[in-house]
Amino acid sequence: MKDLTQKAIDVCVGEGASYADIRIVTIMDEDITIKRGNIDVLNLTTRTGFGIRTIANGGLGFAGSYLLNTPEIERVAKLSVRIAKASGKTRKKPIRFVDEPAVEDTYITPFKKDPFSIPTEDKISILMEADKRMREASDKVKMTQSDYRAFREDKIFASNEGAFINQQITFCGGGISVTVAEGGKQPQTRSLPASFRGDYSTQGFEYFEKLNLIDLSEKSVDEAVQLLDAKQCPSGKMTLLLDGNQLMLQVHESCGHPTELDRVLGTEAAYAGTSFMTPDLVGKLKYGSDLVNITADSTLHGGLGTFGYDDEGVSARRTELIKEGLFVGYQSSRETAAILGLERSSAGMRADNAQHLPLIRMVNINLEPGDWNRDELIADTKYGILLSTNKSWSIDDKRLNFQFGTEIAWEIVNGEIGQIFKNPTYAGITPEFWNAMDAHTKDDWRIWGTPNCGKGQPGQVMYVAHGVGMARFQNVDVGITKEEGK
Amino acid sequence: MNFDKEMLLEKGRFVLKTAEKLGATQTEVTVGIQNSALTRLANSIIDQNVAEHHATIQTIIYVGKKKGSTYVEVIDNDSIRKAVENAIKIAKMSPDDKDFQSLPGALPYNSIPIEDLVSKNTMNTTPEQRAEHAKMVIDTAHSVDDRIKAVAGAISHGIGERVILNSLGVEAYDARTYANVNLTILAEDGKEQTAGWYADNNTDFGKLHFKEVAEIAARKAAEGFGMKAIEPRDYEVVLEPAALSGLLVYIAYFGFSALMYQEYISFLRDKIGTKLFSEKFNLWDDALDERTTFRTFFDDEGFPKSKIDLVENGIIKNLAYDSYTAGRDNKLSTGHHNKEEGHSLPFPNNMFVGEGDSNLNEMISETKDGLLITHFHYQNAVNPTEGIFTALTRDGTWKIEKGEVKYPVRTLRFTDAAPRFLGRIDLLGTYPKINASTFKVPTIKLPSFRISSIQK
Repeated sequence: MKDLTQKAIDVCVGEGASYADIRIVTIMDEDITIKRGNIDVLNLTTRTGFGIRTIANGGLGFAGSYLLNTPEIERVAKLSVRIAKASGKTRKKPIRFVDEPAVEDTYITPFKKDPFSIPTEDKISILMEADKRMREASDKVKMTQSDYRAFREDKIFASNEGAFINQQITFCGGGISVTVAEGGKQPQTRSLPASFRGDYSTQGFEYFEKLNLIDLSEKSVDEAVQLLDAKQCPSGKMTLLLDGNQLMLQVHESCGHPTELDRVLGTEAAYAGTSFMTPDLVGKLKYGSDLVNITADSTLHGGLGTFGYDDEGVSARRTELIKEGLFVGYQSSRETAAILGLERSSAGMRADNAQHLPLIRMVNINLEPGDWNRDELIADTKYGILLSTNKSWSIDDKRLNFQFGTEIAWEIVNGEIGQIFKNPTYAGITPEFWNAMDAHTKDDWRIWGTPNCGKGQPGQVMYVAHGVGMARFQNVDVGITKEEGK
Repeated sequence: MNFDKEMLLEKGRFVLKTAEKLGATQTEVTVGIQNSALTRLANSIIDQNVAEHHATIQTIIYVGKKKGSTYVEVIDNDSIRKAVENAIKIAKMSPDDKDFQSLPGALPYNSIPIEDLVSKNTMNTTPEQRAEHAKMVIDTAHSVDDRIKAVAGAISHGIGERVILNSLGVEAYDARTYANVNLTILAEDGKEQTAGWYADNNTDFGKLHFKEVAEIAARKAAEGFGMKAIEPRDYEVVLEPAALSGLLVYIAYFGFSALMYQEYISFLRDKIGTKLFSEKFNLWDDALDERTTFRTFFDDEGFPKSKIDLVENGIIKNLAYDSYTAGRDNKLSTGHHNKEEGHSLPFPNNMFVGEGDSNLNEMISETKDGLLITHFHYQNAVNPTEGIFTALTRDGTWKIEKGEVKYPVRTLRFTDAAPRFLGRIDLLGTYPKINASTFKVPTIKLPSFRISSIQK
């Protein structure tokens, strides 16, 4: 491939590019969904293509194609430079990148069992058994879904600075979901270990096996059936506990997105929005309580944001975003780091396929482990509501005003878990909420993976992750929807 | 991009033939070529500028009731053969899909002439032309008010060509162009930052209203200063077309998709034939109507498009079906199959809300204590089985008192049930000249809309 990447770079430089990089990417994506005992999806996607990013006349250009041959590389390289020159016409200052070492290296996601070598029948067999057990667990079961997905991205990155990086990223995982209904009661859904098709990790098939979906099937039905007769979640200001499969989305929406430096600098103003975490607040904003430590860390084992190098060829690293409650840093790229005067990029640039421009995307954005054990935290709570498994999410364009709903809640009274509530929701303002966190666990801390983060125009969907335990927050608005629909 | 219908047909037929030889009992193939480009604006410069060129083949194989599919981005016959072999292989190891009846058979189309779907202007648009239009909208916006600080948005266009063939005789071909400008304009006066938004969609890049879109968005930003916080409660509301259109995406997805209905997610479960909305509310889908921006005469499985009533005088009439979901309910497809890499969902892509005879001025003058909303951000279902949705206002919201627009308001969150807020409608306007939203929707005035929280 080196001859093709060199050809691309030579053409770009010959056309007047001051910077050029090329990514050649092949994606394999195996997707299996079983619904009500039937195969809903059994699909294998294979995408190959390349994308060439250039700077010329101070502007940025990008062009891609599916057709990997020399004439097409020449055409696309020329188009990329032409687009860059057109972009440069409106620029007041030329684009500048912070210096990063040009690396020649190879990175491969470590795994024990290659998911693409495991027979498809074995995957179907696990999903079908989980699905069967859910259907047979109760006559109130109306809908069941079991999901498996394995993803592999082989990519080559080369630049005119001398970088040449080979990477193979693999992730795997899945989940189950059941919907029950009875008479005129409102249907209820339970999803385990997480909603929206489950939980994923940059590991092999061993991670899917570890999820034990078959063992989770009866629990999912049992809780869903209990929800049919559960009381509506109470409303008012109260103590809130968030399970990991909801806390991860809270971190994602209210800390992950607002610390993306491209958003902060206005690049996403027209679509995803901007951020309340502006540069003048770095080192000043008390984002959360002293217990809140949030990092962007692409070096951790198993996170969906784990890699060797980002799509600008910058090596994986750990960056502090929130330290003891203080806002201290951003997720950045070579360009945005230069704008802000930072020395290095946080290695945050990724694209969801060859033909998309890399953007700042969350890596593993983690709420660092606290001091508590889960049982101790519950025992320490006099009265509170524990919410689990995301169902609904919404947050404003500056990432301040959020509202979430979960599938299930439990009442905690005098340190013991009590009755189940249905339709729980909570809402808040980001810094007020994180300043109200008074405990976070360590014994159940784990990295949750979600392959569904949308951003950019044209739209991109990226795989990201969040390490969290269970956390407690005081004086939160719970039960927003109590009277809606009446 | 030159059209190459014969090449696409040849590839499609090659898939059908290969699949049959390998033992497929039914096969569907979609072959598509797409070229697209997007110039993205931020901080009043071109910040990103991209072009893509794709060729994709999606093959769905049935061996009896066993299903397998592949989605590949290749066009050479050796790779296509391998993709078909893979689809056959995984279909053979799949358990029977008991709900599968058949792929659709060939039916006559109400064809739309290709010259009505494709614009040469759009096909021939260059990076330099996008840059010139970018400069023009930036200059226009800044000329509206000296507090305009930054122009953001996107100027995009593309062309797609596709064939859908199946082994039961379906053979559908079309080509389409699209063009879009959307602008979010930020203004600042040292104390406050405001924003305004507007957009336009067309098949023809040359017919986009660039200047008007820039002026409207800039005026909204300029008129946004002096924002006040208001208390969360029920208000009258005037929703501009983009605001209602944005909500309709979620109402249709969680309500009118037969898949959501069958999976017990839809708030319309057991409500077909029931009056759920105001008698003034009429909603239908018609991809053939010349007034819709992006017309098409077949869906993603090659089933012919036709008009379907979803709500008539407030009564729920129909759901959107594809062949698979229709088979489950012993109905016929309504031509609403949408598919993406193995996943599919019936959805009405070309919705209309029936017009009235009112207008924005009348709606404002008829409002005693209400809000005027440009559009929403981050819509989502809070509880889809009850039709409860939430979203935040964005890029221009104003308080209306005693028939006059009084002052802009800070970001508001609404959380409300669609059957409640669309249960009563005061006034409906007419379709706007500029297609800011892809659905055909008028401005609407509702007597009660529930604001659940505010940003101080």
